[in-house]
Amino acid sequence: MMMATFMGLLGATELIAPDLSGNLSWIVFGRVRPIHVNLVLFGFVTPGLLGAAFYFLPRLLDTDLYSEGLGRVSVIVWNLILVCIVLSLAAGYSQGREYAEMIWPVDMLIVIVFTLIFFNFIMTVAQRREPLLYVSVWYACAAIVLTGLTYCLGNVIWRPDSGALVGIPDAILLWFYGHNIFGLLLTPLSLGVAYYVIPRVCRSPLYSHTLSLVGFWSLILVYTHIGTHHLLQVPVPTWLKVIATVDSVGMVIPVMVVLINLWYTAKGRLGEIHADIGGKFVFTGTILYFFVSIQGSMMALPQVQRITHFNNWVIAHSHVGVLGFAGMIALGGIYYILPRAVGKPLYSRYLADFQYWLVLIGVVGFTVVLTIAGLIQGNAWFNGETIYRVLPEIHMYYIVRASLGLIIFVAAVLGFYNIVRTIFGRPAETVVVEGSPTRELLAGSESGLAHQESGLAHQEVAS
Amino acid sequence: MKMTPKAVIIGSVLMLATIVFVVVYIPWANRIQTPSEIHRTRSEIEAEGRKIYIANGCVYCHSQSIRTIDWGKGAERIAQAGDYVADQPILLGSQRTGPDLSQQGGEHPDDWHKAHFINPRYTSPNSIMPRFEYLGEEGIATLTAYVQSLGMKDADKRVARQAYWKEKVIAAYEAGPEANVKWLNEQVPQGWRDLPNPYPTTPAALARGRKIYQDFCLGCHSAVGDGMGPAQPYIYPPPFNFTILHGREISGGIIYYHLMNGITGSAMPYFKKDLESEKIWEVGDYIAVYFINDSDANTEPRGIDAAYEPVEEE
Repeated sequence: MMMATFMGLLGATELIAPDLSGNLSWIVFGRVRPIHVNLVLFGFVTPGLLGAAFYFLPRLLDTDLYSEGLGRVSVIVWNLILVCIVLSLAAGYSQGREYAEMIWPVDMLIVIVFTLIFFNFIMTVAQRREPLLYVSVWYACAAIVLTGLTYCLGNVIWRPDSGALVGIPDAILLWFYGHNIFGLLLTPLSLGVAYYVIPRVCRSPLYSHTLSLVGFWSLILVYTHIGTHHLLQVPVPTWLKVIATVDSVGMVIPVMVVLINLWYTAKGRLGEIHADIGGKFVFTGTILYFFVSIQGSMMALPQVQRITHFNNWVIAHSHVGVLGFAGMIALGGIYYILPRAVGKPLYSRYLADFQYWLVLIGVVGFTVVLTIAGLIQGNAWFNGETIYRVLPEIHMYYIVRASLGLIIFVAAVLGFYNIVRTIFGRPAETVVVEGSPTRELLAGSESGLAHQESGLAHQEVAS
Repeated sequence: MKMTPKAVIIGSVLMLATIVFVVVYIPWANRIQTPSEIHRTRSEIEAEGRKIYIANGCVYCHSQSIRTIDWGKGAERIAQAGDYVADQPILLGSQRTGPDLSQQGGEHPDDWHKAHFINPRYTSPNSIMPRFEYLGEEGIATLTAYVQSLGMKDADKRVARQAYWKEKVIAAYEAGPEANVKWLNEQVPQGWRDLPNPYPTTPAALARGRKIYQDFCLGCHSAVGDGMGPAQPYIYPPPFNFTILHGREISGGIIYYHLMNGITGSAMPYFKKDLESEKIWEVGDYIAVYFINDSDANTEPRGIDAAYEPVEEE
């Protein structure tokens, strides 16, 4: 988390002071940027969310994790991967494909670790004592298996040298994969955590089982179609662009279905959410999920892309998505689960709150300044100004952006300190042992319990 | 619907497989494999240069994908699928922090690239590109070979044109200042040579000209116009020394023409894409007033008085 945000800060500073990297190849912007992106994705957000999944799976399934040992091995391999990512990219070993830069040996390690985690998850599911699968379990299992598969495909692991296809199909595959890192990894893992934390914090059952179902299946169906919206201005087949654009707009369905479900669950109980720091992070994440998704649907329209493509607008969008939505939920998951997992109270609620505001100000500020910068760039280019001419116009925004980056980095440092102090803090006097909450979660959910047990189709009734 | 582990795993994997078939496999099976008319195979050194381009993350700031709505350098050719048939990986890029490079080959001669890679601010004072001096002499030469190949057959024609004119500009430079100025003037069509700068010299116009000079010219021609900017050691023939031009019949039109079209073969780029007409006249007058000490601004023939010009006292 600290490394990832620091790399972002370093990259942002280099855009203001380009001579900063001097003659050092390993901190040149072109190497810092992929390190930042991959560390955020694989070093901060994904492990944060997976940690939560490792906590809630056994609880929801009323069993122990299949293998703690295997889990430990996964953590060690995972951290080894992160070291490899930083070293290989800093040294210039890159396959040059955004989100798929890692060289083949690192790819293999990632595939192995995903396999280990999937095995652990599925075996835990197999030995469950609670027959019903709560929606968080669906998301966690599907995220791991689908990302494992798309990772192999997207990184073209059958071609170790290049890790790429040839020509335009390479771009199509790359953006299919790249977008699925969000669609099939970060989003389902985040939603799994949100589906667990929000009802638990509110102490209310999930609003609707039907909406859970629609949200889950439509996410997989729609999200996977939209990668080509990165290529609307590239010579790819028109029918594919049409699919990507239509489905991007169609993303409203999986997004709103899930949000309605979660927000109705929390209806009238925002006080409880506000009182729990984990819930606060997670709920904020769902709000930013709304904004980033609506913006994403809009950005897929060709007319909008004429202005927004190739500039900082997209960078703003990606920061709301990864930090504002998935990152916030990952932090919420950490803060909800950490005291329960280690059996010690959180070291400082105040610090966590402080971190919450720093991250929120940072990410909202990012969105504002980078969107402005993007609009300046996009409109200037559209109007015939050269890229070089626009650089001084956005310089000021780059400075504000780096300042906000500093805020986000400070937030990460505070969070790290808080987590470390919690882990090594004094144990709580009473340890609450919780039973499986699955029945409770499904109890009122528009009779989700009966619904699942009978396996009958159920008509949605507006309450 | 009862969600069993089988339903979740098998169901989602089947969906994924179907979608991969539609949005990845079908486009792959129907891909365009015919090279476009500008396509050619990369030489060994160009392929090596491409590896340097990938290893140093050039792709994060430079696209290689010209769109129908583009104006900048290289925008004369809209990208076609057949341009990319040998690219593995394809390097379309997703950001334009710097310019698109699809047709960069031959836009500049090699010596401009050398100065630019050592420190981009040497040639382009506002650039935010990092320094690539660490690549070393050989690395820079290899990367330059790749950049000069961008645009393939179109690039080859431009590179050949650079080489053709380079011989001539070197010959003119080596013939001494007098002959060099004469040769440079002769390259400008007569109509432009006879044309004075149509706009009057005003403090405001000079201030604007100075700003343009700082943003575009300083790296080569230096703050005092003597051609001893930081790029000078890497460039041959060296950047022009404006201070020798006094009394050598340099009209506003000549300066305008060279700024607009550049001097192919030398490191002097063209600025018609970066600067609109007024800006070129004003930076030209800035050079004429401060460095040449000989401006023909607002002299005859002037034609009809422009409405916005300050009215002179009779």
